[in-house]
Amino acid sequence: MTSIVAVQQVKKVYGKVHEEKTVALKDVNFQVETGEFIGIMGASGSGKSTLLNILSTIDRPTSGQVLINGYDITKLRGNKLSDFRAHQIGFIFQDFNLLEDLTVEENIALPLSLQEMNPKRIKALVILISKKLSISSILKKYPAEISGGQKQRAAAARALITKPAILLGDEPTGSLDSSSARELLNTMTNLNQKDKISILLVTHDPVSASFCQRILFIKDGVIGKELRRNNLDRISFYHQILNEIESFES
Amino acid sequence: MKLKVLKANGEKMTLKLALSGLKNHLKDYFILFSGLTISAAIFYMFQTLAANPLFLKSNTYLLSIVVIFNLGTFLLAIITFAYLNYANNFLINLRSRIYAMYLMLGAKSRKIAQLIFLETIVIGLLAVLAGIVCGIILTQLISRLLIRQLDLSLIHYSPWNNQAILVTLIFFLVIFVFFALKNARKLVYTPILKLLNQEKTPVRAHKNPLLWGGEIIAGIVLLAIGYWALAHLDILNIKGIFVAIITIVSGSYFVFDSLFLAIVQNLQHRPNFALKRLHSFTLGQLNFRLRDLTKLLAMISIMFALALGAITAGIGFHRDIATITNVCSDYDFILHDPSTRELDQVNNLKLTDTSVYHYKVASNKVYWLVDDFDLKPFNYVIPNGSFNPIKYSHVTGKQMLKDKNKWLSILQSYLGDASTILPGGFLPKKEFQTKTGKEHTINLYVLKNFMAEKNQIKPLVLADNKKIKLDVNRDSTQKYNIFFVINGMLSGFEFMGLFLGIAFLAMLASCLMFKILSGANNDMHRYQILKQIGTRHQLLEYSIAQEIGTIFLLPALLGIVHVLFGLQMFKVTTLIHEPYKNLIIPIGIFLVLYAFYYLITDFIYQKKVLRK
Repeated sequence: MTSIVAVQQVKKVYGKVHEEKTVALKDVNFQVETGEFIGIMGASGSGKSTLLNILSTIDRPTSGQVLINGYDITKLRGNKLSDFRAHQIGFIFQDFNLLEDLTVEENIALPLSLQEMNPKRIKALVILISKKLSISSILKKYPAEISGGQKQRAAAARALITKPAILLGDEPTGSLDSSSARELLNTMTNLNQKDKISILLVTHDPVSASFCQRILFIKDGVIGKELRRNNLDRISFYHQILNEIESFES
Repeated sequence: MKLKVLKANGEKMTLKLALSGLKNHLKDYFILFSGLTISAAIFYMFQTLAANPLFLKSNTYLLSIVVIFNLGTFLLAIITFAYLNYANNFLINLRSRIYAMYLMLGAKSRKIAQLIFLETIVIGLLAVLAGIVCGIILTQLISRLLIRQLDLSLIHYSPWNNQAILVTLIFFLVIFVFFALKNARKLVYTPILKLLNQEKTPVRAHKNPLLWGGEIIAGIVLLAIGYWALAHLDILNIKGIFVAIITIVSGSYFVFDSLFLAIVQNLQHRPNFALKRLHSFTLGQLNFRLRDLTKLLAMISIMFALALGAITAGIGFHRDIATITNVCSDYDFILHDPSTRELDQVNNLKLTDTSVYHYKVASNKVYWLVDDFDLKPFNYVIPNGSFNPIKYSHVTGKQMLKDKNKWLSILQSYLGDASTILPGGFLPKKEFQTKTGKEHTINLYVLKNFMAEKNQIKPLVLADNKKIKLDVNRDSTQKYNIFFVINGMLSGFEFMGLFLGIAFLAMLASCLMFKILSGANNDMHRYQILKQIGTRHQLLEYSIAQEIGTIFLLPALLGIVHVLFGLQMFKVTTLIHEPYKNLIIPIGIFLVLYAFYYLITDFIYQKKVLRK
C-alpha cells in the first residue's frame, strides 16, 4: 500500500520572537495509506485542530514536512497552493461552510467551475454525486431552506466532486442530530469502501471515531497512541475507544 | 457605602468596556466617522448656496431658482437620511454583539441603552462638527478653484454662512437623536440571542412572474412619462418638474426592483455563463445584493443624473459664455489710435486678421476714408441676444455709399462717446487727404482664439475703453466688454452647476461606498470558504471587482439615460444653447471621478474581506 499522507517531524510553535512561546505540536509523525479511513482524536488543547489546519494548508508548521499525494504542502505558495486545495483535498466542516447565496447545485458545481470545466460535464457530474449522496431533490434549494444533515451532505458533495486525493473532516457531525450524524457517517463509510476514497476525520466524538479503521490519539502535541479496528464490529470498537480515552486522558 | 463603591466601579467598568470596543474596531470607526463627516460637509456645502437667497437671486436671472434649490435641499435631505441610516446600521452591527455580551454578563439593559444612546449622539455630534469644518474648508477651496479657473464673478458668496451652519447642525442632530433612540430601543427589545448572531442569511423571495413583468413595464412607462415631461417643460413649467421627479424616482425604483434582477437571474440560468469560474458566486451575490439595494440604487441613479446633469449644465453655461461672446462680433478687439507701445503688444498676439480704417474729425464731424473699406471690407454683427444674430459680411466702401446714413451711424458707434462728434460722410482718397482736421485710425483685430487670449488683450481693451470714454456695461463693439457682461450673467449658473454636481457626486458615491463596505464583515466568511475550496487569489479579486463594479455601473447607466433625456429640458427652455454638444466631456469628467470612488471602494473592500 502507498501512503497518501505522510507527516514527518512536524512541529508548531505559536508566539512572536519576543513573546512567550506556546508549543502546539511537538513532534508529530504518521502516515495515512491510500483508501484508509482514519480518525484523529484528542481533547481540547491537544493540538488536533492545529494538526488539521496544517493538513488543510490553512496553517504552516514551524518545522517538519507534510506530503499529501506527493506534494510537500509546506512549500506551496500562491496559485500553487490554491490549485492544490482545488484538486487534492476535499474539506467538510462542522458548520458546513456552504455559500448561502448559492443554491445547493451551484455550491456543488463551484469547484468544477473554478477548473473551467465544460458546463455540460459539470451538470452531469453534479447529478452523479448528488445521487450518490441522496440530495438530488434539494439541488435547487438554498442552504437556508434545508436541514443540517442535508447541508452536510451538500458540503460533502462539494468536497468530493473534484475527486480529491483525500477528504478531510473537521468534526463533520458536530452540528448534526444523532440520526443525521449516523447517516452521514454511514455515507462516508460507503464512500470509503466502495469508491476507495481516503478519509481523515478529526473528532472528539467516540461515535464518529468508531466508524474509522484506525485512530490516532493526540495529547500535548504528540501522537501518544494508535488504535486499529481490525475485524472488530463498530460497537465493540466504540467501547474500546471509550476505554482508551479513559486511560489515555488520565 | 459599599453599594456606592460597587456602583461607581460598575460604571467605570461599563465605560471601560465601551472604550475597549472602540479600540478593537478603530478601522471600522474610522470608516464610519469619515463617512459621516463627508455627508455633513456636503450637506453644509449645499446649504451655503441654498440658504443664501441673496446669492441665488443676484447671480441668476431665473426667478424660480430659490424653488429649485429648495427642491434640491429636499432631495439631499432624503439621500442624507438614507446614508445616515446605513451608517447607523453599520454602527449597530459593530456594537450589538459586544453589548449583548455585556447583557449576558449581567449589565442592566437600561444602562446599555443609555450607553448606545450616548455613543450615537457623541459620534454624530463630533462628525457633524468635523463635517462643518471640512465643509467650510472645501467650499473655500472649490469656490476659489472654480473662480480662478473659470473667471467666475460671484456676488454675496462666502464659505462661512451662519444659517448654513445652523441648518446643518439642527438637521444632523435631529436625525442622530432619532437614531440614538432607535438604537437604544433595539438593544433593549431585541432578544440577546439575536443580537449575538446578527449574521444575515439570505432568504429567497418568490416573485410572481406576472407581477414581475408588470413591474418591468410599469418602470419603463413611468420613466417614459418623466422624460416626456422634461422634454415639454416649456409648456408644463414647474408642474413638469414635479411630474418628472415623481415618475422618474418611482420608475427607477421599479427598474431596479425588476429589470436588473431579471437580467441577473436570467444569467444565473445560463449554464454556459454561470458555470464559468466564479460567475455563479458573483451572480448569487448580486442577486441578493440587488434586492437589498433596490431603494438605494434607484436613489443613486437619480442623484447620479442630477449631479451629471448639473455638471453638464455648468459646462454648457461655460460654453455659452464663449458662444454668445463669439457671435456678438467678428472682431476680437478694437484699438483707437494705438500707440507704438500698444502696437508692439498687439504684435505679440496670435492674430489672424487686421483691418485699419482712417477717419478725420473736422468741425465735430467724422469723415471716413472710403477706399479703406474697398481694400478691406468691413464685417458687422447686430447682437440680438440670440445665437444667430443678423450679420453683414464683407461690406465694401461701394456698398456703404449706397446706404450712406445707415453705415455712417453704425461706424459712429465704434467711436465711443458720440456726444461731441457727429457723422459726416465717406470721402474718396483725394478728398480725404485735402480735408482739414485731425486724422485718426481705428484698428480692428481678429485673434486666433479669443477665449484663450482674452486675458492678454484685457489691459489693451481697458485702456482703449478709457481713451474713448466707453461704458463697459453698455458697449457692444468691444468683444471683451460683451464677455464681461455675459460672464457676470452666466457664471453664477455655471458655479452652481459645477458645485452641485461635485457635491452630489461625492454624496452619492460615498453613500454607495458605505453601503458596500458595511456588508464586508458578513462577506468575509464567504471569501474564506472560497479560499478553502481552492479559489486563486486573483480570481477572488476579480470577482469582487466585478460585483462592486456592477453595483456602481447599474445606477450610472440609468443615470446617464436620465441625463440624455433630461437635457431636453434645457433645449426646450432654451436655457442652454445646444445642451448635447460635447456631452462626452462632462460625462467623461464625471465617470473619471466616479471610477475613482469605485476603485477606493474596491480597494478597501478587498482589504477587509481578503484579509490573510
